[in-house]
Parts: sequence; structure tokens; C-alpha cells
Amino acid sequence: MAKKPDLLPGTLDMLILKTLTRAPLHGYGIALSIKRFSDEVLTVEEGSLYPALQRLLLQGWVKAEWKMTETNRRARFYTLTAAGRKQLGVELTQFDQMIAAIGRVLRDPQEA
Amino acid sequence: MNNLSRFTKKLSILFGRQQFLSDLDEEISFHRQQAEQEFIAAGMSPQEAHYTAMRQFGNATRAKESSHEVVGFSFESVLQDVRYALRQLVANPGFTAVITLTLALSIGANSAIFSVIEGVLLKPLPYPHAEQIVRVFLSSAEFPKFPLNPFDFRDFRERNKSFESLAAFTRGDMQLSGNGQPVQLSGFKITAGYFHVLGLKPALGREFDTHNEVPGNTQQVILSDRLWRSRFNADPQIVGGKITLDMLPYTIIGVMPANTEHPGNDYHAVPYGESVDVWSPFAFEGNPAQRGSHFIEGIARLKTGVTSEQANAEMNALMAQIGNEHGGTGWKVLLIPLYREIVGANQRMLLVLLGAVGMVLLIACANAANLLLARAAARQREVAVRLALGAPRRRLIRQMMTESLVIALLGGGLGALLAEVGVKTLVALLPAGFPRAHEIHVNLLVFAFTFFVSICTGILFGLAPALQASRMDPRRGLHEGGRSQTGSARQGRLRNALVISEVSLACVLLIGAGLMLRSFLNQLHLDPGFRQEQVLTATLSLPHAEYKTGADNARFYSRLTTALSNLPGVESAGAGSDLPWTGYDENAGGFNIEGKRPPAQQEDHARYHMATPGYFRALGIPLVRGRFFTDADTKDAPQVVIVNHSMAALYWPGEDAVGKRFTFEDKPVEKDWFRIVGVVGDVKDKPDSLSAEPAFWWPHPQAPHPDMTVVVRANGDARALADSLRTQVRLLDPSLAVANLRLMDQVADESIATPRFAFSLVGLFAGLAIVLAAIGTYGVISYSVSQRLPEFGLRLALGAPPGNVLRMVLVQAARLTITGAVVGLIVGLVLARVLRSMVYNVSSTDPLTFTAVGFGVIAIAMLACWLPARRATKASPMIALRAE
Repeated sequence: MAKKPDLLPGTLDMLILKTLTRAPLHGYGIALSIKRFSDEVLTVEEGSLYPALQRLLLQGWVKAEWKMTETNRRARFYTLTAAGRKQLGVELTQFDQMIAAIGRVLRDPQEA
Repeated sequence: MNNLSRFTKKLSILFGRQQFLSDLDEEISFHRQQAEQEFIAAGMSPQEAHYTAMRQFGNATRAKESSHEVVGFSFESVLQDVRYALRQLVANPGFTAVITLTLALSIGANSAIFSVIEGVLLKPLPYPHAEQIVRVFLSSAEFPKFPLNPFDFRDFRERNKSFESLAAFTRGDMQLSGNGQPVQLSGFKITAGYFHVLGLKPALGREFDTHNEVPGNTQQVILSDRLWRSRFNADPQIVGGKITLDMLPYTIIGVMPANTEHPGNDYHAVPYGESVDVWSPFAFEGNPAQRGSHFIEGIARLKTGVTSEQANAEMNALMAQIGNEHGGTGWKVLLIPLYREIVGANQRMLLVLLGAVGMVLLIACANAANLLLARAAARQREVAVRLALGAPRRRLIRQMMTESLVIALLGGGLGALLAEVGVKTLVALLPAGFPRAHEIHVNLLVFAFTFFVSICTGILFGLAPALQASRMDPRRGLHEGGRSQTGSARQGRLRNALVISEVSLACVLLIGAGLMLRSFLNQLHLDPGFRQEQVLTATLSLPHAEYKTGADNARFYSRLTTALSNLPGVESAGAGSDLPWTGYDENAGGFNIEGKRPPAQQEDHARYHMATPGYFRALGIPLVRGRFFTDADTKDAPQVVIVNHSMAALYWPGEDAVGKRFTFEDKPVEKDWFRIVGVVGDVKDKPDSLSAEPAFWWPHPQAPHPDMTVVVRANGDARALADSLRTQVRLLDPSLAVANLRLMDQVADESIATPRFAFSLVGLFAGLAIVLAAIGTYGVISYSVSQRLPEFGLRLALGAPPGNVLRMVLVQAARLTITGAVVGLIVGLVLARVLRSMVYNVSSTDPLTFTAVGFGVIAIAMLACWLPARRATKASPMIALRAE
């Protein structure tokens, strides 16, 4: 089994917040969603997903409530809060700046 | 705001912990079930799907733990570790008891010694801005620390620019009568501004001014708080009242507050502390042009910004000026900061004690680390399981460190209790008059120190074993099962290093104790020059108001000693100006010896004393040549003296001193000559003085003095004579107080109390050290034997003689202990230099001590290894079979 690439450090919170902009989801749903949208490149492990969710809850960026799924099972659904949306904006901007900066470093000077 | 809401969320989770954990559980199991369903949908069998999900999602417990860590308070996991540690300790009571008690003993000893250091060295002196206070002495090549002349002092006071104020004081005990039994009060005569220098103000009334320094204005007195309360019922109206001192009326002008501490003094010393009852004015009497007499001690407060060195330079210039005006004297001024003067002599001893007790703690640490290492080996499986289950190493180290810290704090807590007891014992053991002994208490600072030492101890002995254990490979730990094997080579090396350092530290301490023991024995076995047994002593002071002339004084002491000699049970009785070994330091200088030219530079000088005829016999001071004084040596008889052996040898080398004469006059007439009639044996100033000073005695009638020490030698128990002595004094004069009634044994004992104190403590610590080191060595060898029992069993089964096995173990032990002893002896050789000033007549490299300690330590350590070695010879091969 080939080892899958790890998440870029510090990006998990952002990915979760982004995923939750589309719809409230339970933990498994979030993991699945990230996997699908990344064309199966990114996998989120329980070991980092649930601590991250606790962190977001504590910061007040997401809310959690127990609801029923379509298959009628109890699951904890996470919803983005207004503060979370604002935080996502902040993180996206920082991330874009970071990627742009990395890009500039990596670009071959002859190409310019 | 955000922090606050985060905190309240954490708080709600803390209290709803069960809810939080079950929510998390449900969430994670939901997660897994969803994943499994997906795998089944993709065509896996349910079981396959289950395992795949398990594998893919890894360690569920770890996920829960780290989720909880995000929301938990950090102390929660600490508490968890502490709970775990306590469970471990309760589960191993023997281990816990040994390790905690060892630590408690050594931490307690450290705290006790620290209390002494805190009280004596660290606590600020009880005077405001005490760092500005200096003591003022004169100094010359012959007399490095000498009192001042009053008129020199007065010139210093008028001319100096360095001091905010300068004062002088000298011993002036007084006898209080009326209002019950007459009592001898400990007193000082002080100049104006004495209390101002100390920064103290009377609680009632005022202090003396320069008006009181004029003869005739001196019948005023300041009382101590203690005297005011004990004799005068703390009468708030007492200022202005009159009391009878030395048979004269004195007006009380002030009362000092409680905690007015005497700053200590050199000349007729009274110990530092609340040791003074009364202060009376010092009067400048006599001819200001004559500056030969030195008996007052200076004390001064430096102006802000002036250093003691600057002031000293100015004072030296002043002294030179004064010398020019009154004929050169060759004196220099010596300023000593008060703090250094008070604690200086004991500082080194206390620091040596702290060092010694610190070494004991290090040995205890090494022992604790050894025990932990041995236990870590036994816990390999537990650690392996936890590592395999995904516990991070950092967390394991933290948890083990928590265990050692819990142990250390338990030891520290118990140690603090021991310190409380220890300090009381220490203070009781301290030599009488030890400066600031009353300041020694177990206080908050001592507790803080104990806490700090405990934490450091815990880290020190816990870190290495924790690192060792966590470095283990879990596969190996699991594979080897519950049976711990020989332990890694690294562990073995660490254990050996610990034993070697324990043995060497114990060696160092024993060397210290050995040197001090030798020094102490030297002092004990020294011929003191007198016989202290069966001698009762007491001091008397005849008030000038009643005994106006020298003849009055002489008559009283002659009658008293005659009456005492005639008592049944008395062998001989006499009186003298002082007792041996009490630091008496009265010097007469500038005498001329008949037939010899006075030396150009140095003045001839000698200690002078007074004695009645029975004095030498009563003290057992032997007559070397000539005769003792007799009743015929009266005021009108030819002037005679007795000299000691040192004086005879110094000024009449190779001659018979008896019959020789000296005088204090430059142009003597016949009556100015003192003829030597006897030579007596030498008595040193103090037992550890290098040699006896030259000294001579005047017969009391020819040099009468009101303050004398009575000496009575008994046929039997001298204590029984105390009442007769009091009665005889009362018969002669009922208004006299008999003070300092003591046996000469006690006097002599007190003079060696400090070396005995230091030696007993270092000896105690050394004893503790060698016991701990022996336990440590025993532990390591015993552990290694138990590890190798199968091997020994096999060897024995294959026909190895038990002697071979025994030798194997002992050689291993010998290698460690000999290395330790050699290291210890080398370190001891270096460190013993610190003791050089504390030991008497012993070289700090004393070969006897070093040899004895070296062999002794090796012998004790080997003895400790004997038991485990014996066990090795009884190993059965069955152990080996069962183990595999």
C-alpha cells in the first residue's frame, strides 16, 4: 500500500471550515468530503480529525449538535458559525499569500 | 473575551467529563461503522471491513486522548499522572518506604542546616541599613585587632568626614541592689550616639548625649526591655526614677525596646544578641595627652555613598595625624563591616556543613536513582505495552518523572518534619554564645528551600531512569516477557557510575570527619596547663562606692580566699583577674628589662594578670621554678611578679628568670622594679591558640582590682561547694552578687564547643553517607546477582567450585568500590584544603586519615556485597531451567 501524502501542516482546520461552508456535516462526513473533493489525495485520520474538531469547538468557530442521519442514526453534526466563517477568510488569505510566496521561490528564474 | 469563553467551555467540559467522553466514544464508533459499511458496499466481507477500518483509522484510544487534551486543562493530565504514581507507590510499599525515608532523612538534614544558615548568615542584621555599620579597631603587626584609646576616639569623632556617626563602648557590668537579691547585670558603658549608630531608638526616654561623657554626669542609665519587665514590672512611668547600681543612685533616662541586640564585642566579650541588661555613660577621664591605654571598642555608621575602604583610608590618615601630634604609635585603623565581624568566624564552618549535608543528599539521590533503575527493569513489560499501544515517549517520560517528583515531595514533606526536630536539636547543640543562634527557626524560607531541594532531587534521580526506560524497544520488552533480563549495557554502566560516585562522596565526607576527629582529639589530649576537674569558679565585683581604696579590695579578697581555704572539702582557694581559656586579653607594653637594652622597634609586651596566693594551686597550674605568692607579698612588701614559661623563655632565653627584674619606668628608682619570684607553666588563651602568650601576674595586694574570679578546688565534688561559697561571700558582705557560678569543667568545655559541634555534625553526616553508600552498593550488587542467578546456577551445576562464583561477584564489587575510593581520596585531597583553618594540629593531607578512610570504605562496601555474593554461591540450576 503506497503511503498517501500527509496534509500540509496547519491546513486541516482550514479544510474542515471550508467543507462546512457547503453544509453541516458529521465527523465521518467531513473526512469523506475532504477525501472526495481532493480526488482521494487527502485523507484525514480520526487521530487528527477529532482533536481538530474539539479545537474548533473551543474557539467557537463551529457548533455541534446531535441529529439523525438520513439512515436514521444518531450523529454529531458540526455547523460553521459566523466567527468560523470570518476565520476561514483569514486563513484563506494567509494560505494564498503563502502559496504565492512558495511559488515565487520555486519558479525558475530563466523562465521569467 | 475569547479567552474567557474558552475557559468557561473548558470548565463545563471538566465538570461534564463523562458526557464529553461518551459523546466522543459514540462519535468515533459511528465514524468506524460508517467506514465499515462503505467497505462492505465496496465488496468486502464484514470481518475484512472491520479490520480494514481498524487499521485505517489507527489507535482509537489515542484519538480520544488527544481530543481530550485539546479541551482538557493541562493539570488534568498531571493529576492523572500523580494518581497513577501514587497507585504505583502504594502497590510497592517496601520500595516506597526505603526510598522515601532515605530522601526524608537527607532532605531533612539539608533543611535543618539551611535553617541555621538562614538564621545566621542570610537573615539581615536587626539594625536598619546594617550594611552601613562598621566596627572600628586599631591594628599593628603584633596586635592585629586592638581596642581604641578614648582620646584617639574623640579625635576620630571630631575630625572624620566619612561617618554619619561614630560611637564607642566598653564592658561595664553593674550590680543592682535594693528590691530583692543583689544581681550582677551585664552592662556596657557607651558614648553619646551609640544607639544612633545602630539605628535604634529608646522605647521610653532618650539616649545619652555628650554632656554625659563628662565625669560626674554619668549616674544615668538605660535599661533593657528584659530588665524593665522582669525587675520593674514594665512600669511606663519609670523614666526619671532612681535605682541603686554599684551602691550608687542612678537615674533611669531610657528603656530600649525588645530585640535590642548587642552587636558583639571583642574585649571582655559578651555574646551577640539580647545579652545586655544596662547601658551607662562612658566618661572621658584622665590626661588626653596620654594615649597608651586601649580599651574601648569603636562602632560607626558610614555616610551614604562612602565605602568601608574609603572610610578606612581617611581614618588611617587621621591616625597618622594623631600619631604625629602625640608621638608616633605605629597603629593603623581597621574597619570591619559589622556583618562580617559577627558571622565571619562561623561562615566557613556553616558552609562546610552545608557542603557535607549536600553530599549526603547526592548520595541519597544516587541510591534513589539506583532503586528506580532496578524497578524500571522490572517494569519493562508495562512500559513496552504502553509504547506498543501508542503512548508517546514524551508522555511516558513525563509520567515517570511525575512518579519521581511525587516520591521526592513525599520525602521532602517528611524531611520538613524531621528538620523541625533537627533544628531544635541543632540549636541546643550550638556552642554557647554562638552569634544569632536565637534567629534560627524553620520558617517559610526554609520550607521554600525544602520544596526547591525536593523538586531538584526528584529531577536529579528521576531523569536518568525515565530516559532509560522510555528508550526501550517495545518489541524486545514484549518478547522478553515479564522476566527482566540483565538490562542493557548502558543501564549497567549508569548503575556502576552511581555506585562509584556514592562511594567516592562517602569517602570525601569521611575524610572531612576524620580530619576533624583528629583535630578534636588533639585538642582534648592537649595538656591544657591546668587541671579543670573539681574546680568551682564564680565572679565577684566590688562596688567602688563601698570599696574605695585598693586596700579595701585587697582585704576583701584576702579574707574571702582565706575563709574558703579553711572550709572542709576545700583543697585550695584563690582569686584571679581571669580564668584560663576565656580569651582574656589585657596587655602591658613598654617595660624595660634590667641589664638589657630595649629593642629599637617593637615594645616589649606581655599579658598582665592579678592573683592571690592560692590561685595557681586551685587551678592546678604547675610551678616550674621559684615560688608562688604568699601572704607576705603585701602592698608594702617589695614588688614581685610571677611570669609564665613563655615570658621567661622570650625575655631571658637560656637564663633562670627567677630573681630577674623589669620595670615600666624609664628612669626607675629601687621601688619601681618588679622582681620575678616564680615561673609557672604556660596556659594558652584558647585551646586552639598556636602558642601561649608571654604573661605575668602581680600579687593582688600590690595591684588590687575590684573584679575578680574566685577559684575553689574541692577534695570531692566541687558542685557541693556552691552554697558554702555563697555563704562565705554573704558573711563578708551581704550586698554582693555572686555571678557566673560555674565548674571549671564547664568553662573548659565551652571553649571547645565550636570544634566539637562541627565535628559531631560532619561525623554524623559521614556516618549517614557511608550507610547510604553501603546500601547503594548492596543494592546494585544484589540486583546484578539476582540477574545472573541462572548463570551462576548453571556454572555451579557444571562443577564450578562455589569459591569461584563468590570471587566473581566480589571482584565485580571490588572494581566498583576501589574505583570509588580512589576517586574519593583524590577529591578529598583537593577539598580538605577548605578545612585547613578549621582543624588544629592536623595536616589537611594527614596520611593516617586518608589511609584509614580508604581502607575503611572499601571494607564496608565489600562487607555490603558479602550477602549477595553468598547468595550467588547457593544458586540452583533449576532457576535457569525455570526461567527459560
